[in-house]
Amino acid sequence: MAATLKPYLNCVKETLTAAMCVQNFDSQVVERHNKPEVEVKSSKELLLTPVVISRNEKEKVLIESSVNSIRISIAVKQADEIEKILCHKFMRFMMQRAENFVVLRRKPVEGYDISFLVTNVHAEQMFKHKLVDFIIHFMEEIDKEINEMKLAVNSRARISAEEFLKNF
Amino acid sequence: MANRLPAVVVDTGTGYTKMGYAGNTEPQFILPSAIAIKEAASVGDQAIRRLGKGVEDLDFYIGDEALNAPSYSVKWPIRHGIIEDWDLMERFYEQVIFKYLRAEPEDHYFLLTEPPLNTPENREYTAEIMFESFNVPGLYIAVQAVLALAASWTSRQVGERTLTGTVIDSGDGVTHVIPVAEGYVIGSCIKHIPIAGRDITYFIQQLLREREVGIPPEQSLETAKAIKERFSYVCPDVAKEFAKYDADPTKWFKKYEGVNSINKQLFSVDVGYERFLGPEIFFHPEFSNPDFTMPISEVVDEVIQYCPIDVRRGLYKNIVLSGGSTMFRDFGRKIQRDVKRVVDARLKASEELSQGRIKPKPIDVAVITHHMQRYAVWFGGSMLASTPEFYQVCHTKADYDEHGPSICRHNPVFGTMA
Amino acid sequence: MILLEYKNLIVQETLKDKIRNVVEGGKPDNVDITVADFDGVLFHMSNPDGNKSKIMVSVSLKFYKDLQEHGADDLIKREYGDFLVPAEPGYNVSVVFDLEKVPGDWEKRVEKAALLKRNCFASVFEKYFGYQEQGTEGNKRAVVHYRDDETMYVEAKKDRVTVIFSTTFKDMDDVIIGKVFMQEFKEGRRKYQQAPQVLFSHKEPPQELANTDARMGDNIGYITFVLFPRHTSASARDNTINLIHTLRDYLHYHIKCSKAYIHQRMRAKTSDFLKVLNRARPEVKDKEKKTITGKTFSRQN
Repeated sequence: MAATLKPYLNCVKETLTAAMCVQNFDSQVVERHNKPEVEVKSSKELLLTPVVISRNEKEKVLIESSVNSIRISIAVKQADEIEKILCHKFMRFMMQRAENFVVLRRKPVEGYDISFLVTNVHAEQMFKHKLVDFIIHFMEEIDKEINEMKLAVNSRARISAEEFLKNF
Repeated sequence: MANRLPAVVVDTGTGYTKMGYAGNTEPQFILPSAIAIKEAASVGDQAIRRLGKGVEDLDFYIGDEALNAPSYSVKWPIRHGIIEDWDLMERFYEQVIFKYLRAEPEDHYFLLTEPPLNTPENREYTAEIMFESFNVPGLYIAVQAVLALAASWTSRQVGERTLTGTVIDSGDGVTHVIPVAEGYVIGSCIKHIPIAGRDITYFIQQLLREREVGIPPEQSLETAKAIKERFSYVCPDVAKEFAKYDADPTKWFKKYEGVNSINKQLFSVDVGYERFLGPEIFFHPEFSNPDFTMPISEVVDEVIQYCPIDVRRGLYKNIVLSGGSTMFRDFGRKIQRDVKRVVDARLKASEELSQGRIKPKPIDVAVITHHMQRYAVWFGGSMLASTPEFYQVCHTKADYDEHGPSICRHNPVFGTMA
Repeated sequence: MILLEYKNLIVQETLKDKIRNVVEGGKPDNVDITVADFDGVLFHMSNPDGNKSKIMVSVSLKFYKDLQEHGADDLIKREYGDFLVPAEPGYNVSVVFDLEKVPGDWEKRVEKAALLKRNCFASVFEKYFGYQEQGTEGNKRAVVHYRDDETMYVEAKKDRVTVIFSTTFKDMDDVIIGKVFMQEFKEGRRKYQQAPQVLFSHKEPPQELANTDARMGDNIGYITFVLFPRHTSASARDNTINLIHTLRDYLHYHIKCSKAYIHQRMRAKTSDFLKVLNRARPEVKDKEKKTITGKTFSRQN
C-alpha cells in the first residue's frame, strides 16, 4: 500500500503547483465585486476542467480551478465504521475552526470529506509552495492521525474492559 | 416528562468551582478549580506530550484532592474567569459529572456560567464539549452577573423581579462592578477594582504583624483569614469607631484563639481595630494599595454614570452584592449611604446651576443584601434552572445536531416574568 | 479514575459534615437537599417534620416496584434495620439519623446510607444467586426496567446466572464506539480466566430473550454476563454485585472519556496543522524592533 502513497502525493503536489496560478479577477456580473469564480461558476470561460487524482476508490482528490481561485477537495480513507466516525468528527472539528485556517472551506464539496478554497488573495499573501506543502502535509498526517486515534480508542476499550473484568 | 431529573448547575470560577443540582439552596460541592495531572518529562509539544498510549488521561485529580496529590503537577485551567486550557477543562468536567455529582449527563440538563465579556467562540467550545463528549440533552450558558441579580430576588417580594441592576462581585482575587440592563451586561462600562478578599487578609496580617508576636509566622496568613471571616465588619465612620474602641476596650476587643500546628500549643491574639479596618480598604483603598485610591462607592457611581441615561435610575435602585468578600456586616449599608451622598450632591448641584428652575426627581439608591450572597451566582443558577422556563430556553441536543455549536453563542434572557 | 464509585459521594459528605458538626458540639442545622444519582435515582435529605435533630435520607428509584418483587424490602430491612423508617411520600426507602443520640459507629452507618442505591439493586441479584445455589430451576426471569428505555434481565440456571443488560445509545457515533468497547469486553475474558463470560449483541436481543418484548433497533445493544458459581458464591457475591450494577454507567462513562480523549487529540493535531499553514505566511519584515531600554532599533545600512 505504502508504495503507492508517494507517487499519489507527488502527483497531487505537481498538479496543485500548476493549479496555483491565479490572478485578481473582477466579477463579470456585479460591478466592483470580486468573487471566487470556482464557487459562483458564473461563466464557463473562467473555469478550467476539474481534475480528479485518485489512489483508489476511497482516497481521491478533486482539484477545481478557475481564473481567480482553486478548490481542493479531499476524500480521506475510511476503512471501517470507526474510521468513518473519527474522520467525520475530526473534519467537523476542523471546519468549526475554519476562521483560523483561512483557506479551509466551512463545508466540504459533496462526495468529499474536506475542502479548501484558495483565492488569489491567499496566493498573494502567502507562499504558494508552502500552501501546497500544507495540503500535502495535511493529507499525509490525516491518515496517520485517524489510524492512531482508532488504535487509541481500541486500546482504551481494552484497558477499561480488562480493568472491569479483572475485579471479578 | 413529568418527573424530570433536576438540572445540573456548575459555576466555574477562577478560584473555586461550585457545583450541585438545581433546586437546592447551596452548592453540593465547592472545589478549587484545580486539576492535577501526571506530566511526562519528555520533550515535544505540550499538547501532544499529554496524550498517552492508554488511559493515562484518566489518571488525574480535581479540587482539594488535586492540591494534595503528590508527584502530580497542579494546573488551573481557568484564568480570570475565562477557560484557557480546554483539554484540562474537559477532563475536569469528567470528574465533576461522574465522580462528584454522579449524574448520567444524558439525563440532566446543564446550566454553566461564564464571566461577562466571554467570547462567543468560548461558548461554542463549551457547547462542543458538553454536547459531543457528554451528550447532554440541553445546555444553557448564563452570565454570572445576571445570575447574581436573579439570586437577589430572594430578598424581596414577587412582582419586583428585575434583571436590571449593578452587580458588585467580589471574590478572592478581584472585584468587578458590572452594570446589567434587562439581563444584558453593558460590557463597555464594567470596572475592576484591584481590591478583594485576599488584600483584606494581607492587610489584617500586616496589622497583626506589627502588634501581635504570639502568632507563629507560618500560620500568620491563615490566622488573619480566620479573623477576617469571624470578626470583621464595616463601620460607618472610622474616627468615631476608634473613639468607641478606646472608650470601652473590653466591650469591643475580641480574642482569637489558635493552635500552633507544630507544637500544638494554644496561642491567643487580641483582635482590635482590624475588625473594622480590614473591610475599610474597600472605602479607603489607599490604606493598602498606593496606586489605587478610588473608594468602591465612587467606582459604582462612575460605572452607572457611564451607562446609557435611560437605565441609570434602575441601576442605582438595584445594587446587588455577590461573592464572599461582600459578606461583611453593614457592607451594603455603607455603600448605599456613600453612593446616595454622591448622587444627592450631584442633583443639588444641578438644581443650583439652574437657579432653582429645575427640580430634579430624587434618585433612589438601594443596595440589596441577602443571605445567599456567598454563592449568589450558583444560587441564582439553581433557582432559574428549576423553573419550567429554563427547559424552554435551553439549547437542546437536537438543535445542536441540526445547527451546530453556533446556536450557543446566544443564550436568551429569561425569568424576568413575575 | 477508572472504576466508578459505588456510593453516593454527596450523601456521604453531607451526612458526615452534619453529624460531625453535632458530635463536636455544634447546633444541628436545617437540611433540605435533593440530589440525583446514576440511573435516574433521586436522594432527598431533609429534617422530618421540620425537626432539626433528625436527618432523613430517602431514596427514590423508578424501578423499585420491579425490585420489590424480588425481595428488596427484606434486604433493606436486613441492611438498615433499626434506622429504617416508613418511606417518605414520593420516595421508596427512608432511613433516619437521630442527632440527639448519635451511635458510636455513625461513620459506618453513613457509608451504608450512601450505598442505598447499590443495596436496592442487590436484592434481585442475591435472590437469583440464591436460586442458583439451591439449584432450583425454572424460575421466572426477573425483569428490571432500570431506566426508561433500558432493561435488565436476570435468570438463574443450575450452573449459572445470566444477567442481560440492554442499553441505548443516544448518539449514532456512540453506537460505533460502544461496539468497540463491547468487543473488548468479550475478548477480555481470555486474559482473565476468573472473569465471567461476556457476550454481546447489537440491534437484536440475544436468543434467551427471543419472543419477549425486548426492544430492537440500531442504537440498542445487549450485553450478557454469564456468572458462574465462582462469582455467585457467598464470599464473592458482594463484589460481583458491586461491579455488575455499575456496568452500564461504567460503559457510558468510558465512551464519554474516549470522546474527550479524541477531542484532545484533535485539538493537538489542529494546532499542529495551523502551525504548518502559518509557515506559508511570509514573516513581517519591517517589524519595529526595540532595544532593552525601549528605543527603536534599526539596522544601519
